Amino acid sequence: MRPTIGTVLSFLAAPKLWLFVFFVLPMMTMVLYSFWRVADYQIVADFTLRNYEKIGGNLYVGVFLRTIRISIYVTVLSLLIGYPVAYFLARKVRRFKLTLLLLVILPLWTSYLVRTYAWMLILGTQGVINQSLMAVGLIEEPISWLLYSDFAVTIALVHIYMPYLILPLYAVLEKINPSILEAAWDLGGGRIRTFLSVILPLSLPGIATGCLFVFIPSMGAFVTPELLGGTRSIMIGSIIAQQFGVAYEYPFGSALALVLMGIIFATAAISLRYGKPKGLA
Amino acid sequence: MRRDPVKPFLAAWTVLVLLFLFAPLFVVALFSFNESAISRFPIRGFTLAWYQKLFANTALHEALWNSLIVAIATVAISTALGIGAAVGIHRYGGRYGGALRSFSLTPMMVPRLIIGIALLTFYNLFQTNLSLLTVIAGHVVMTLPYVILIASARLVGFDKSMEEAAWDLGAGTFTIFREVTLPFLKPAVIAAALMSFTLSFDEVVVTFFTTGNDNTLPMMIWSMLRFGITPEVNSIATLTIVASGAFALVAEMSLRRAQVGSTR
Repeated sequence: MRPTIGTVLSFLAAPKLWLFVFFVLPMMTMVLYSFWRVADYQIVADFTLRNYEKIGGNLYVGVFLRTIRISIYVTVLSLLIGYPVAYFLARKVRRFKLTLLLLVILPLWTSYLVRTYAWMLILGTQGVINQSLMAVGLIEEPISWLLYSDFAVTIALVHIYMPYLILPLYAVLEKINPSILEAAWDLGGGRIRTFLSVILPLSLPGIATGCLFVFIPSMGAFVTPELLGGTRSIMIGSIIAQQFGVAYEYPFGSALALVLMGIIFATAAISLRYGKPKGLA
Repeated sequence: MRRDPVKPFLAAWTVLVLLFLFAPLFVVALFSFNESAISRFPIRGFTLAWYQKLFANTALHEALWNSLIVAIATVAISTALGIGAAVGIHRYGGRYGGALRSFSLTPMMVPRLIIGIALLTFYNLFQTNLSLLTVIAGHVVMTLPYVILIASARLVGFDKSMEEAAWDLGAGTFTIFREVTLPFLKPAVIAAALMSFTLSFDEVVVTFFTTGNDNTLPMMIWSMLRFGITPEVNSIATLTIVASGAFALVAEMSLRRAQVGSTR
């Protein structure tokens, strides 16, 4: 088939154009704004590094570090909880495989706002956990740190994003050739040894992709920490959002967002580089 | 193979994890039938009053209407663009196919918050009036990668010789697309449309930064959660859970039936 320039353009150009106008250009605008400043509630277009200098202060560095820490907790927990599930689905079941897979995907279709809210009902002082524990007499009064804490934010983010980790991991684990595992058996590798030196290294690409799918949205989380976080567990998403609200500090907010994107890109680059299968590759 | 002692543990773990994923959704549904106005566990009585109150709430009707407008427009645009992009990359991408696809998928790797505020600065720079139109533009950016991903996955199993046969019979590029490629892609189109609809209908962060005075349903839930929770929230939340679940099932069935069909 010999396509004309016109047909190629109509298929490829329209979607690319949309992404260029409403994604690439806005990102570039954000870069531009990060070097501008606000004076008398007006955004002034002159070059300054002041926004970035401001981020270097203790306050914002602290929030960034807390955001990274919580995101790492969320990612590691998701991996520890999700890996056995992905492994089970990919290699241990046959009959209910598709149904189980559907059950993992299903929660992804429900609103993250609603799923965040569910944790308010579960973790609050009047919530399911506290009232149940009090009813059986394990505690006298509600545990207050369950809600409005790093704990609440972490558990809700794990709940919301873990399925995104299971899916790529499942895909990679399912593709492992059974004959490689048989070879490992024949060479006398035990269960644990086979797992550690064959399956785990081969699943590294899935681990890397899956972890990114959890880490990235956690770093940029806004709704969940806003609703479940305590006054002392503010994450960077809330600070960024504030700059675009009544504060009207678009330039400073843009600079914060760019630093966040920088951290995300660096993490993505590192994990995709080291996430290649080792040993047997 | 030998008997597997690890399997029961993995099975039990998987069941626990599924419980962890689903239990919170059931808790919300449970509270939506709570007679008491205070969301306190265990619930007291059984009532449909909150659902009735919901249907009588006119502010909610408007928000629902706005959400539907945005979601339907998003589906129309992102499905058309996304299917076109996937077919285009598949047909003409050649050695640039991988790069083109990666570019199309980048919005997935950017947090929604950043997509939202980047658009806001962009609109601010050009003094654009914020409305449902500016919301739709952002929602398409957010959903387009999912459409391309679903359509590309389906195209992997596409036999190019079918298109070539149509070409030899004298059909033009667009006729081939309409008569050969599109029917093959139909299950992916259905799944992608349902996915975009759900993503758009539930989206709050991108909407938050790109809307003017128009409220959408998630925006209303968001403000209810921040400024005084009423039991109505439980009912709206439950209804959205049920709707999303139904959409997910239809999408999944559509793709699965197609897969069975093509391997036969």
